[in-house]
Amino acid sequence: MTTSATPQAPALARRFRRRPLTPVNVVQRVLAYTLLVLMVLFCLVPFAWVVFSSVDGHAGPNVQLPALSFDNFIRFFTSAGTPMLLVNSLIIGIGGTALNLILGVAGGYALARFAFKGRRAFMFSILLIRVIPAPATIVALYLIMVNLQLTNTLVGLILVEAVLQLPVTLWLLKGTISAVPIELEEAAWVDGNTRLQAIRRVVLPLIGPGLGAAAMLTFMGIWGDFLTPLVMLQSQELYPLSIGLFRAFSDYNHVDWGLLAASAIVYVVPPAVLYIFVRKHLLKSSLGGAVKG
Amino acid sequence: MTTSTSAPTRAATAPQPSPLRRRRPRRTWPFVLLLLGPGAVLIVVFIVVPALYGAYLSFTNTQLTGFAARDPKFVGIDNYTYLLSSSDFLASLGQTGQFVLFSAIIGQTVLGMVAAILLSRPWVRGKGLWGAAVLMPMIVPEVVASLTWASVLSNNSEGTLNRLTGLFGADPTSWLQVVPMVSIIIVNIWRGVAFAMIMFQAALEDVPVDLIEAARIDGARAVQIFRHITLPLIRGPVFLYLLLTTISTVGVFGLVYFLTQGGPGGATRLAAIYIYQRALQFAQIGIGSAASMILLALVLVLGLVYVRLSKVEV
Repeated sequence: MTTSATPQAPALARRFRRRPLTPVNVVQRVLAYTLLVLMVLFCLVPFAWVVFSSVDGHAGPNVQLPALSFDNFIRFFTSAGTPMLLVNSLIIGIGGTALNLILGVAGGYALARFAFKGRRAFMFSILLIRVIPAPATIVALYLIMVNLQLTNTLVGLILVEAVLQLPVTLWLLKGTISAVPIELEEAAWVDGNTRLQAIRRVVLPLIGPGLGAAAMLTFMGIWGDFLTPLVMLQSQELYPLSIGLFRAFSDYNHVDWGLLAASAIVYVVPPAVLYIFVRKHLLKSSLGGAVKG
Repeated sequence: MTTSTSAPTRAATAPQPSPLRRRRPRRTWPFVLLLLGPGAVLIVVFIVVPALYGAYLSFTNTQLTGFAARDPKFVGIDNYTYLLSSSDFLASLGQTGQFVLFSAIIGQTVLGMVAAILLSRPWVRGKGLWGAAVLMPMIVPEVVASLTWASVLSNNSEGTLNRLTGLFGADPTSWLQVVPMVSIIIVNIWRGVAFAMIMFQAALEDVPVDLIEAARIDGARAVQIFRHITLPLIRGPVFLYLLLTTISTVGVFGLVYFLTQGGPGGATRLAAIYIYQRALQFAQIGIGSAASMILLALVLVLGLVYVRLSKVEV
């Protein structure tokens, strides 16, 4: 994470500790910690309302000390509309991730193991595709989906979401599969496996970490998406959490603040937990820059 | 893993040029088509075709409803001339520019750099915790990010920011009405600091410690060291980050739409929101598509520069 990887760092730190601090050093450190505290306050204070209100029986639109109760969460899971939001989000997220990974492993294998014409061009094109802002193609995509009769269906949304995340998955898995020595596969072929059997028995068990990273990035991307479901889905019973939260918030006069906050917490938990796992892979991958958002 | 150890042995024993070329082409293509084909076709259908179809639509007067919906006509560059002389669209482009400049290029970069430098000091304690706190805004879905700020910027006197300014004796303000642009810029800075910090931390790690030490011994002050040694050494990654954050900030939609829906009076109608409203709320597909193409052209130029400069290995 920091300079501790270099051999000089511990020595430096030790020298700092032994030498009495000069006044300049003291001022420097006080300033640094003040800046850090301010920065962390800036980052965390906005969350106060969501966190407090979710466990507040009398939640309102403003931050207040909660009258501690888990009533909001109970209502989230028992009331008529809200559990459906979570179920839809899970169907879209898991379905999209599964489809994305199947396409990604197959394609990544082809890109890693075969030197075919246009491979480089393909890799760079999908990297360039990654920079296209979603709002710039959403209109035409919507019309195409209307013609395919896939709007307002979860299947259509799953398909689109899986493909939108596919360029990143292909890059990640191409790199991971390239790192598996081809000799292992060759040994499997000699033992009488077909190429596809060798992929299943040798390659798949060895690319676990890369596969996990790709799965989590894809899932988080789909889970957090707002624009695509907003455009593609019209029926209320198909809404995922993102759209459900937006509709509940926009209903100006009848906002149930406690329920809204509890829904937000339910919505945040999966990506927050996944991020803790994915972080190491994210920082290591050469694609670190291509996976924002 | 085992790659590094096995590579030299193979080079010694196997005379073939590389494992990739060992298979003859006639056996390669069926496999490539079988494995990569489905993904490639879907990418073309759902990403490339929409971009091309959008280009076609931008030259027609396609509508979702009304007379033109039944019989869309080719109208040449009418949509483009309309847009480029429409004060609404030009204002929207200008707002997008402002949004990118102040939130991404200035705000996120400066704060991210400050965070990265502070957390690279050897004597700072609890780096993991500070870092995790800064990461929170980036991890949460954008709808939740907007929701948290809705309470901070709330217009009643009990809103978080109004309470804070109230401490200094200021009257409650409805922030999203009075200073909408500043508000969404601050929200986007908040969301993007972590990404800048991660990118800059990685860059700072590659700066040799000896160089910094040498300069310090020569009597350089911290600011001088940063200006004359650190900054020139991390110029490449910083430039790449700037391109990347510009590209992704142009595509920001949900974060702003949730809070303002482009209002008040179009004051925060970024290009992304303009496209959405024109095409899908006012049903003017042709004009919306033309606006999309203008946005796409701007981003693709930046994207090409990014792909060229990032020097990724294939």
